[in-house]
Amino acid sequence: MSILLDRNTRAIVQGITGRIGSVQTNWMLEYGTRLVAGITPGRGGEIVHGLPVYDDVYEAVEKHGANASVMFVPGVFLRNAVLEAIDAGIKLIVAIPEHVPLHDVLQMKSAAEKKGVWLLGPNTPGIISPGIGKLGIMPGNMFTEGKMGIISRSGTLSYELAGILNEAGLGQSTVIGVGGDPVVGSRMIKILQEFEADPQTEAVIIVGEIGGSSEEEAADFIKEMAKPVIAYIAGRTAPSGRRMGHAGAIISRRGQGTVQGKIKALDMAGALIAKKPSDVAGLLKGCLK
Amino acid sequence: MKLLEYQGKKLFAANGIPIPQGKVVTNALEAVEAAEQLGGDIVLKVQVPAEGRGKAGGIKFVDNSFHVHSEAGRLFKMNMEEFSIEKLLVEERLDIVEEIYMGLVVDINTGEIIFLFSPEGGVNIEQIVAGRPEKVYRLPVDPLSLPPVYQLRRFIRRGGFHGKVLEGLTGIAEKLLHLFFAYDLLMAEINPLVILPDNQIVALDAKVEVDDNALSRQKFEKKFWEERDQLEKEARGIGVTYIKLDGSIGVVGSGAGLAMATMDMLEDRGFPPANFLETGGGITEELMYNTLRLVCKNGNVTGVVINIYGGVNPIEKGAKGIVRFIRERGTPPIVVKALGNKQEECWETLREGGITVINSVKTEDAVESLLELIDARKVQAKTSGKGMM
Repeated sequence: MSILLDRNTRAIVQGITGRIGSVQTNWMLEYGTRLVAGITPGRGGEIVHGLPVYDDVYEAVEKHGANASVMFVPGVFLRNAVLEAIDAGIKLIVAIPEHVPLHDVLQMKSAAEKKGVWLLGPNTPGIISPGIGKLGIMPGNMFTEGKMGIISRSGTLSYELAGILNEAGLGQSTVIGVGGDPVVGSRMIKILQEFEADPQTEAVIIVGEIGGSSEEEAADFIKEMAKPVIAYIAGRTAPSGRRMGHAGAIISRRGQGTVQGKIKALDMAGALIAKKPSDVAGLLKGCLK
Repeated sequence: MKLLEYQGKKLFAANGIPIPQGKVVTNALEAVEAAEQLGGDIVLKVQVPAEGRGKAGGIKFVDNSFHVHSEAGRLFKMNMEEFSIEKLLVEERLDIVEEIYMGLVVDINTGEIIFLFSPEGGVNIEQIVAGRPEKVYRLPVDPLSLPPVYQLRRFIRRGGFHGKVLEGLTGIAEKLLHLFFAYDLLMAEINPLVILPDNQIVALDAKVEVDDNALSRQKFEKKFWEERDQLEKEARGIGVTYIKLDGSIGVVGSGAGLAMATMDMLEDRGFPPANFLETGGGITEELMYNTLRLVCKNGNVTGVVINIYGGVNPIEKGAKGIVRFIRERGTPPIVVKALGNKQEECWETLREGGITVINSVKTEDAVESLLELIDARKVQAKTSGKGMM
């Protein structure tokens, strides 16, 4: 087993005919992902990397029973693509684009929550369940199959963590990028609950960063978890009050979201704190025995 | 992008929210002219995107037009945070009965839009928020459907308002909500919103922030970026995010998290970072070349760690930009940690260009390697210096 992306996933690629969409579709197929179709309005009837292209999501759902979608549409068009996928009954949406207007994110998030849809991103590398498939842009060679779950706010750091785990002989069940934007579609705490319930996953690694309060919120659930949780939080040296990229790394005005505050909350909830990513392997070995 | 006060007020006025009479000036003489036109007592307000202008002395009440020239002159010589004062807003001074707070913000933790309202606005709003939060009313707004006007009226009535004033405040709330959505705002705050003796309601200040990601579909002048530094401005042109810091080691990361982790490790080793730089997903040969030029323009930089992953980024192309830069410039010492899709091709290009490649998954290995390289160059410089004598 794995979470969210498993052997029942039948995914489509929205924006499959675009430059990035097409290249990444090829990488996802090479990785063994079960992709069933692509969507680009106005390009229905074409074939891309052997996949049929449809004009809308509804047709792909009707003809192929698609239940997941990965998005490679430009940022300003993402909202409509996501709202369409939600309306068509898609249950897992991976929103890759960066530079998405915040109002659009708020609308997508609200719609996804009302329909109980998993929305990862925007600005996410996606999700990978090694050995099963990947929906997103993460380099497949950085991951191996195993029993560690990773939830990351940073795409690149999730690759780094997986690489470090591989060297220690610890593969991954599922690795999820929640997205680097200030507001993202799915809460870290909800994903943590999935990992806790997943029989394959033995421990969970949280990769957080300065800003927001998703790590603090997750800490509430960590208290109740049976599985060990290791956390690494980046951004100790980031200047406060400045935006570190288009990442969600903003310290809010009320002084929330500092690295120290997050570490304290996670530590008190019983998570083990890694000072740098490579410390995670040692901490895991200590608690897995 | 934060709008300056006068820009925010222009937006308010164009959308039916009343503002005081006023004029933007760029020197003390113009300020005197503007004051004469307005007549009566005036207020001079510096136009910078900094917080707490009043407390920092950037807002002056001038009773007598005789003092306008000297006061304006003094304000123009000020610096606030890193900003010099290029514009003043000269405004009529109004007789105020009550100060109110009204604002729309996004709670980034929940993803909710919150309409905030307090009958006790003004400079001390932050103390009120902290000390008497019950005096700040919060109305969550569904991003998919605007609240009807009767809900706004009922909400504002909690502040103890009735009749004409309640109707006026409700109207402004409705307009502010409209603005917020129509212009892709991240924040729209009026503090204070004032009630005049004749029950007129006027916005005395405007804090408006527009979503940079929505600028392509909005039509704001792109003049007033928040960059506090020339290099930050250049970075925007290149298409990367750069923030200048105080240390000596340049950092280039292909993601914000990775860049920050690298900075943290440098700090731990006693070599603080000279900058934060995130390329995002748009690496090309040209972007990498320009990025390195930018990072090395900071004279404090003694070495650069490049930490990139090939997921959506073609790192093999980025490698060419790195090699080109070093071929032209020779310095500073650079190490590149690059992993992911097409990593072998990337490494080969770098090695052929004489650049140190780190193929470990540990960022600290790249940090250590760079520090050794910097040390080695120092020794080299010393010995070659001795040989000359």
